[in-house]
Amino acid sequence: MKIFVPNDSAARSIGADAIAVAITAEAAKRGVAIELVRNGTRGALWLETLVEVEVGGERIAYGPTTADDVASLFDAKFYEGGSHPLSLGATEKIEWFAKQDRVTFSRVGVNSPLDLEGYISLGGYAGLKKALSLSADAVVQEVLDSGLRGRGGAGFPAGIKWKTVLGAQADQKYVCCNADEGDSGTFADRILMEADPFTLIEGMTIAGTAVGATIGYIYIRSEYPDAIAAMQGAITVATCAGYLGKNICGSGNDFDLHVRVGAGSYVCGEETAMLESIEGKRGVIRSKPPLPALAGLFGKPTIINNVLTLASVPAILADGAAAYAARGVGRSLGTQIFQLAGNIKRGGIVETGFGITLDALINGFGGGTFTGKPLRAIQIGGPLGAYFGVEKLDVSMDYESLIAAGGMLGHGGVVLFDESVNLAEQAKFAMEFCSIESCGKCTPCRIGSTRGVETIVKIMSSRDAAEIAEQKSLLLDLCEVMRDGSLCAMGGLTPLPVKSALENFPSDFEGAAK
Amino acid sequence: MTLIMEPDFGTPAGKSAKLVTVEIDGKSVEVPEDTSIMRAAALCGVDIPKLCATDTLKSFGSCRLCVVEIDGRNGTPSSCTTPVADGMKVSTESARLSKLRQGVMELYLSDHPKECEVGDQCKVHGMAKQVGLTDVRYDGANHLDLEKDQSNPYFTFDSTECIVCNRCVRACDEVQGTFALTIENRGFEARVSSGGTSFIESECVSCGACVQACPTGALKEKALLTIGQPTRSVVTTCAYCGVGCSFKAEMKGDELIRMIPLKAGGANEGHSCVKGRFAYGYATHSDRITKPMIREKITDEFREVSWDEAIAFAANGLKKIQAEYGADAIGGITSSRCTNEEVYVVQKMIRAAFGNNNVDTCARVCHSPTGYGLGKAFGTSAGTQDFESVNYSDVIMVIGANPAAAHPVFASRMKQAVRRGAKLIVIDPRVTETVKSARVHADHHLQLLPGTNVAVINALAHVIVTEGLVDRNFVNERCDTESFAAWEKFIAQPENSPEALEATTRVPAETVRAAARMFASAPNGAIYYGLGVTEHSQGSTMVMGIANLAMATGNIGRKGVGVNPLRGQNNVQGSCDMGSFPHELPGYRHISGDAVRDIYNKKWGVELRPVPGMRIPNMFDAALAGQFRGLYVHGEDIAQSDPNTVHVHAALRSMDMVIVQDLFINETAKFAHVFLPGTSFLEKDGTFTNAERRINRVRPVMSSKTGKSEWEATALLSAAMGYPMPYKDSAEIMDEIAETTPTFNGVSFAHLDEVGSVQWPCNDANPLGTPTMHINEFVRGEGKFNLTTYVPTDEKSNRKFPLLLTTGRILSQYNVGAQTRRTGNVAWHSEDILDIHESDAQMRGIADGSWVKLSSRVGETTMRARITETVPAGVVYTTFHFPESGANVITTDYSDWATNCPEYKVTAVEISPSASGPTPISDHGIDGDSQLDSIVRMANQIAKSAPANAGIEIEVAHHIEQFWTPLMRSRLMNDVDRSKLDPIVLKAMELAGVK
Amino acid sequence: MTYPVWDSQVAESILASLASDPGPVLISLQALQEHFGYVHSEAVALIASTFNVSRADVHGVLTFYHELRTTPAPEHQVHICAAEACQAMGARSLQSEVEGAVSAEVSKVYCLGNCALAPAAVVDGKLIGRATLAKIVEELK
Repeated sequence: MKIFVPNDSAARSIGADAIAVAITAEAAKRGVAIELVRNGTRGALWLETLVEVEVGGERIAYGPTTADDVASLFDAKFYEGGSHPLSLGATEKIEWFAKQDRVTFSRVGVNSPLDLEGYISLGGYAGLKKALSLSADAVVQEVLDSGLRGRGGAGFPAGIKWKTVLGAQADQKYVCCNADEGDSGTFADRILMEADPFTLIEGMTIAGTAVGATIGYIYIRSEYPDAIAAMQGAITVATCAGYLGKNICGSGNDFDLHVRVGAGSYVCGEETAMLESIEGKRGVIRSKPPLPALAGLFGKPTIINNVLTLASVPAILADGAAAYAARGVGRSLGTQIFQLAGNIKRGGIVETGFGITLDALINGFGGGTFTGKPLRAIQIGGPLGAYFGVEKLDVSMDYESLIAAGGMLGHGGVVLFDESVNLAEQAKFAMEFCSIESCGKCTPCRIGSTRGVETIVKIMSSRDAAEIAEQKSLLLDLCEVMRDGSLCAMGGLTPLPVKSALENFPSDFEGAAK
Repeated sequence: MTLIMEPDFGTPAGKSAKLVTVEIDGKSVEVPEDTSIMRAAALCGVDIPKLCATDTLKSFGSCRLCVVEIDGRNGTPSSCTTPVADGMKVSTESARLSKLRQGVMELYLSDHPKECEVGDQCKVHGMAKQVGLTDVRYDGANHLDLEKDQSNPYFTFDSTECIVCNRCVRACDEVQGTFALTIENRGFEARVSSGGTSFIESECVSCGACVQACPTGALKEKALLTIGQPTRSVVTTCAYCGVGCSFKAEMKGDELIRMIPLKAGGANEGHSCVKGRFAYGYATHSDRITKPMIREKITDEFREVSWDEAIAFAANGLKKIQAEYGADAIGGITSSRCTNEEVYVVQKMIRAAFGNNNVDTCARVCHSPTGYGLGKAFGTSAGTQDFESVNYSDVIMVIGANPAAAHPVFASRMKQAVRRGAKLIVIDPRVTETVKSARVHADHHLQLLPGTNVAVINALAHVIVTEGLVDRNFVNERCDTESFAAWEKFIAQPENSPEALEATTRVPAETVRAAARMFASAPNGAIYYGLGVTEHSQGSTMVMGIANLAMATGNIGRKGVGVNPLRGQNNVQGSCDMGSFPHELPGYRHISGDAVRDIYNKKWGVELRPVPGMRIPNMFDAALAGQFRGLYVHGEDIAQSDPNTVHVHAALRSMDMVIVQDLFINETAKFAHVFLPGTSFLEKDGTFTNAERRINRVRPVMSSKTGKSEWEATALLSAAMGYPMPYKDSAEIMDEIAETTPTFNGVSFAHLDEVGSVQWPCNDANPLGTPTMHINEFVRGEGKFNLTTYVPTDEKSNRKFPLLLTTGRILSQYNVGAQTRRTGNVAWHSEDILDIHESDAQMRGIADGSWVKLSSRVGETTMRARITETVPAGVVYTTFHFPESGANVITTDYSDWATNCPEYKVTAVEISPSASGPTPISDHGIDGDSQLDSIVRMANQIAKSAPANAGIEIEVAHHIEQFWTPLMRSRLMNDVDRSKLDPIVLKAMELAGVK
Repeated sequence: MTYPVWDSQVAESILASLASDPGPVLISLQALQEHFGYVHSEAVALIASTFNVSRADVHGVLTFYHELRTTPAPEHQVHICAAEACQAMGARSLQSEVEGAVSAEVSKVYCLGNCALAPAAVVDGKLIGRATLAKIVEELK
């Protein structure tokens, strides 16, 4: 009988390995014949470690488990689906999963990450097969028609980038996957790469064959060693099976894939800085134009997409653009992989069509704060995202609505803070983070972020109302200079959390207690 | 006179042929579509605030001051990085933009000194004023306590004034191509760094590009801080190498503050090297001699005298010699360091006042084979291209040259071309900086054994001919097909194959084949070469071999191709053009031509002798033979720079009147009876002609330290010898040159002042000069192929002298070092070093940095050794910049068969450890009849090496007639032991030509 | 973790294995750090000459990336996530608790991708979810 224990780094961070060891030992002790499968996480991190058993073709879940529960689980014959206080019933039927609409993440957590046969049996490589049967133009059109927008944060239509690269004339083109998932509160890229790496490989292969790129790079941050290992392992498996390398699937197309590892630099998640870093240089922003689609990696036409963008492509090709575009609202089509994090009761991955309300996400799926104290602030979209107060819970989670509400979707991370949070402290951190991570090229970001920290410190420590007012006004001027003057989104968006904190939580900016 | 400020359009000019019209602040302007908004604005007179942008560098977009608003577009894009589009409407001023710029300047000033050391030279405060910023509300962390880096002798790096605009880093990358600067750290801590070490310890080559680019006082000339701000500038030409860079000499009163490379300079386009930019201090060095001096005997002390007394003393001495030993017993040497006008006057004095053709020039010892070989092949003794041409090359072949050290400003251009994708082939015995430097690596390095150039060029040509890579259309249309057919047959012989020659050249045959294919298949293939080609026994053969290769591959007559000698001295080209060779008058016209002589006979009112005079080595031989007793040496240090020092010293010591005109008491002056003070380039008024035939103006930036123009001293001597030359100024001399020399017909100071510079030929047909030569046809009509049989030099390594020494230059020093040794450049290189391969060093027990004795069959010297992989086993290398080590003590008197250009590049030597450093040169007498030995050696060499196009005896006879003095011919006929002569020479002697 | 001492010949062979890479500087520094635990001062010139770039090029890269270190790695390293999701779960106080309480180099890191199980830390390469001082101390044993 098959027992599934996730080998995802988050699950392992709270003891999954110990559970796996304990289950093996207990099974041996009791003479129970089991097959232990280390699958990826299904993304319900609040349920980790989520142990599953396959009974009659159905997966039954137990969780969250610890190594201490293993003996009682065996006592309850969990391997036959036996009842136990941690029983969650059929995994698919757990409400938290059942209410999601998993498209990009449909295989995540089901399979053992490097099991290529399993991947194919779950519908993997259907997208590539379809793409290889179509003309390059048709593949690009399919991506255009799906409405897929860059999931990395900018929300630029992926198909338009692809079309530009397709139309560019060059002796070499590249596909670069941005897996430098540095935004706090986001971890979907990591989970996808660790749990379902072939989906990303398939997406990149489709991109490469569509635009005539024969070399791909995945730029993964060094903080994700397990994702790096999973991708490298999967590339080896795919290459051996003819899904990468020369003449993939007998199509006549070549596509080689390489993993590049970051070295601790948030700004390298900006696409041009990432290109510089892949080229082995300082991760400094390039000014645009030229667009990377025309002069990108090593000066050649380059598709740059985020992990989730590229990982959505196989499903779009396999099931058709229309099916994908049928999800979502307005100009935000398809599904979004939301990541619930921070001070939250039920944190993890929620994939659903755009348009769900913030409330449904954080209270519905998330169950409110982890501490149980009142919710005070929600930061959406990473360190460059706005801080919302509870008055904004009705906002629809899509690109346009969030901008209208004074925020942004970013990479889809949602971080909850309870009432203990001080938003001046958070604003200061936003500036501090910018000062630490700024590449140092443009003046507003290079000097402005340090001045920002200093100005907020003055506000926080002052007991003089006039000085506080003066420094707030200076801070607002600075935010304007950074927003309008910065070369890239790092400096340009740092004012967003700062100003939103100032506007939505003014009471935190009234200086030191008198 | 005021300070010249060249306009800065912010970003480089667009290159697109497509023009678009944009409207900027209501002004309409038409520009190439790849023009930035910033440049378009500047072109219609709108000055957008900027700090990080400058038109010599690609746009960067870091300072964020140049933001603009564009109709129909969101945000405030930077105008330097945003290209124009047709119909675009741009506003450069608005309340929003103004506030944004003030906000940015407020940030800058929050981390900048309140007052800058260089005043207005720092643009930060000025820019703050320009954008209307009045007060800075921030105080906080800053970099104002960082220490200055004073390690470079010429400029300081003061990080406190640095605004991290990256202009210096970009200049080092894009303009110079050294990549010595970077930004270290990131964010607020991002600072300019010379790679984590001080500037002097860094890879910085002190070209000055960073200083030039810096908009603040962070990188500034020390002179600016010690002397003060300049008030006027004079545009002039550098007097170091053959690149001939244009500079603005920025002055305060009569004091030179700094040399700023001129963006409008055709040769350098705003770039410079450490020598031209900074190493001008010799010109005002306290060692300068500014008053004439004389002495009866060279063992006496010199005594200062008036000009009149010195001139009279010199003239009397020369006249006395002529009275006693005949008109041919005196002669002179012109200087490639001096202006065309000065050179012209010297050769005129020798021909007209001395009454003989005993004039030669220091080009004898560097590029005389270029004149000979290119003249034979193309009909003109000069390079075919301008420097800019290299931008259009697909394959660049560099032979026997190390432009990175010797022609750095050209090297920067070349390296840019390579980094843009041009392929590079280098033929050199050493792994030079040209073969391998940061981000440039030769695609093929043919690391040949010194002395085997001709074998390599023949092997390359063999591959091209036998693999069907000849450009038949070009050859058929443009070349002498008969000579081609003969050459094709010759070169296709198996003995010229790379495989057959591998053992000789040590270059793997496959490398030769690959390089040949690469060169022949390039749409545009260009060849650049230097003294590693010319300074050999086969120098002229090699030049002809290069010309053959260029013609066979169709690489002549357009941009991106050609044969390009990299000239050593600033005015080698000019001094040759000006008739400095004993066999030809200005414009390379042989002295035997009646029509040509007639022009000068009429103009000068004399009767010129129709026979060639002596070359420099002929003079030395004749001196030792007692036939030649008086010499006027104009700005050349033959005692240090010419080979076989002992022989040269003996010759000089045997003369009765040696007149040296120079800035300093050089090695030659130690043998002089008269010393006439010369002027530095900063005091001269005239022209230099660089390696691309570009005639540049040299303007006096300060008054003459000697009270006279240099040509005036020559004219005085000439008058004292009985031939007055009453020119009123140098412009008048150039007018005479133009009048008498067809290629200079259109040149005048007035014309040059108007157009900047011209490349000769400059005449009615080409009033703006001729950047590319031989476009539709060769100057000689059809390009001529010459047979280039490889004749090994007699200078071979043997048991006693098993190593081959080759010599060259380094970046910071120049030639004999008379100038650069008197500047801060000694910080980089203060002695000559012997480079030796580890295996050769180990075998001899030589440690890195230890003293070694270096001996050849003619002499020995001592210097320090450096163990390096840049030379192969069996080859050692040194420079000849310092008289103490006197590298020429050991070089031999072997020379090019055609021109007597010395074989500096090959000397068989042995090396042994030495307990101590250099000792004084031990001069000794020269035994035997060295003139007769030379005559035999030269005649036999010609017989072996001359291309046998028209029957070898006829060629030899013709050659001797063209280039030998009557006395040498007579000694050949009468005094030589005929058993020592090659049978071909004997046959030639039977022909009518040799009388 | 313990690393081998710097050995330029080993370094050369590590670099040689990267010779065919089109952008080798950063991966060279990373490879040397992975092997030796840090980037030795001699590595700059070695990388520059191996890959035909300037020493300044290498120095610029070396000083840009937070992770590259020029001093030998300590035996134990603790990285505590200091980004927002972990802040929301008390990362700031965890940081100050851990500093001084353990004999290891304690430093900040910005996001470990474990934001649903905050606060997160890495102890000698091992990711810890719902990190506490006790868990970190336990892991260091």
